Amino acid sequence: MGITAKSVLIVDDEHDIRRFLSTILEDEGYHTTTACDGEQALQLLETLLPDLITLDVAMPNKSGVGTYRAIRGNRALAHIPVILITGVAPEFQEFISTRRQVPPPDGYLPKPVNPAELVALVERLLA
Amino acid sequence: MEMTYKQYFEAMPCYVTVQDRDLRVIDGNDRFREHFGDWDGRYCYQLYKNRSEPCEQCPVARTFDDGEAHRSEQLVTNLDGREISLAVFTTPIKNDKGEVTQVLEMSADITEIKRLQRQLKESQERYRLLFEEVPCYISIQDKDLRIVEANRRFREDFGQFLGCKCYKTYKHRDEECLHCPVQETFTDGGVHTSEEVVTALNGDQINTLAYSAPILGDDGQIKYVMEMSTNITPIRELQTQLESMGTIISSISHGIKGMLTGLDGGTYLVNSGMAKDKPERVAEGWDMVQRNVERIRGMVMNILYYAKDRQPNWECLGVSDVVLDVVKTMTAKAERHKVELQHDVQLAVGTFEADSQAIRALLVNLVENSLDACGADRKKDSHWVKMSTRGFTDHVEIEVADNGIGMDQEIREKAFTKFFSSKGMAGTGLGLFISGNIAKRHGGDIDLESEPGRGTRFVVKLPRSRPRDPVSLVAAATG
Repeated sequence: MGITAKSVLIVDDEHDIRRFLSTILEDEGYHTTTACDGEQALQLLETLLPDLITLDVAMPNKSGVGTYRAIRGNRALAHIPVILITGVAPEFQEFISTRRQVPPPDGYLPKPVNPAELVALVERLLA
Repeated sequence: MEMTYKQYFEAMPCYVTVQDRDLRVIDGNDRFREHFGDWDGRYCYQLYKNRSEPCEQCPVARTFDDGEAHRSEQLVTNLDGREISLAVFTTPIKNDKGEVTQVLEMSADITEIKRLQRQLKESQERYRLLFEEVPCYISIQDKDLRIVEANRRFREDFGQFLGCKCYKTYKHRDEECLHCPVQETFTDGGVHTSEEVVTALNGDQINTLAYSAPILGDDGQIKYVMEMSTNITPIRELQTQLESMGTIISSISHGIKGMLTGLDGGTYLVNSGMAKDKPERVAEGWDMVQRNVERIRGMVMNILYYAKDRQPNWECLGVSDVVLDVVKTMTAKAERHKVELQHDVQLAVGTFEADSQAIRALLVNLVENSLDACGADRKKDSHWVKMSTRGFTDHVEIEVADNGIGMDQEIREKAFTKFFSSKGMAGTGLGLFISGNIAKRHGGDIDLESEPGRGTRFVVKLPRSRPRDPVSLVAAATG
């Protein structure tokens, strides 16, 4: 019986970053789906249940923070580990991590993304 | 009795002389003799001033003339050669017929008093100078908050003040300020500070840091309060600029990180493509590298443009030449974005005076904005960006239109604002600002029409001739 590959939803408004992250993870055997903003991500999540989500913070249409709240507020999705990927100042990360209304994300990765760090974090969260 | 009066005469703590009509000293007290010598029939002007003739304004002579007592101040020289300031009082001595036969002259040494008066005057002058010339506003208010005194700087910026209420003069208010440092000082006698925004005579708003301090009267009670206000408007403006700089740097930093991630992505694809023998991945990766290098170059050029105060390098340009050049430059990028780059360029539009490099940068920024807007729009099957030109008698118009994502009202209003970017902080927010800046430096403007979901139209209006007063345009453009 074959092991189904774990799936990751990659959400980022920049095409090159989506391609970069999906290539890294696909090379490690993960199956990836991409969304170019929070709106598209939430639409996909109506029918898709990934094992993990990577989420860019600063995006147009629906910001990463707004998307993150929506995911955590949805009972069907709340259990999915989320990694926030952000190039915004560390203060913003501090702000997010201290907010009490939603649980903090499962991990942060700064931009530029280090492939080895991404893989290690995903493996740890999906172990 | 005569003895008693003689004792009084001698005991007087001043110089006393009796003089005849010829101004000869016929009697004097010991103090006079000690400081000016024996009179021995000599004239008062000889004894007091070593003069050979009467003084011009002699108080003794005046008393002989009008029979009245007189007071004056005189500068005399004693036996030691020291100058002494005297307050001189002359009194007529009359005979039974009422005729003035002699004059009694009493002179008090006021040398020390004159010296102290001079010192006081100098001190007052120094403080007056300080009060007037200090580079801040000083006003002195009474208990009713009326201004009783103010310095030159205050008068220059706030005009007439005497008797006016301070809140009326400073802030054009009809009632007291809620938190008045002057009132607080009247209440507790302490020094108080506060930051205020006041309005000058010319309508300028001035940020000030105000200190209030009590001025006590002779009875030890607070009679007035001095309010000293320093103009800190430049500091507040600098603070705002620094805060903007913080935002800029954060925005640019975020944009750069995105581009570096894109570069990393490209190199990852190239390396992994070569390692896994996947040429299509290598090609994709190389495209990504080139694209992000171009983005970084664009960002750096925008930042450098913003950092450097460029004066336009005026030359006569063909409108169609400029636009076709931009189309050629941007065609490859448009193809990568899968956007059709169209143009409708009329040769007949003619020429205009402009800085060639600046106008090209202006148009490239607009086209890039349109390409990004097309990329962000997922609702249409195909996208286009179109450049067109129109000519008028005194100006030309270059239009850049697209059917991209469009802008809502907020984005439209802020589009040309420094460091505002709708690209989720991916851009520097400098591109459109720089385009607007360039248009203003050329004496022109950029009109923007946009509708969310439908697209955007930029119309660049530029005069055919170079503006007559480019200096003021630079000032307006740099704001």
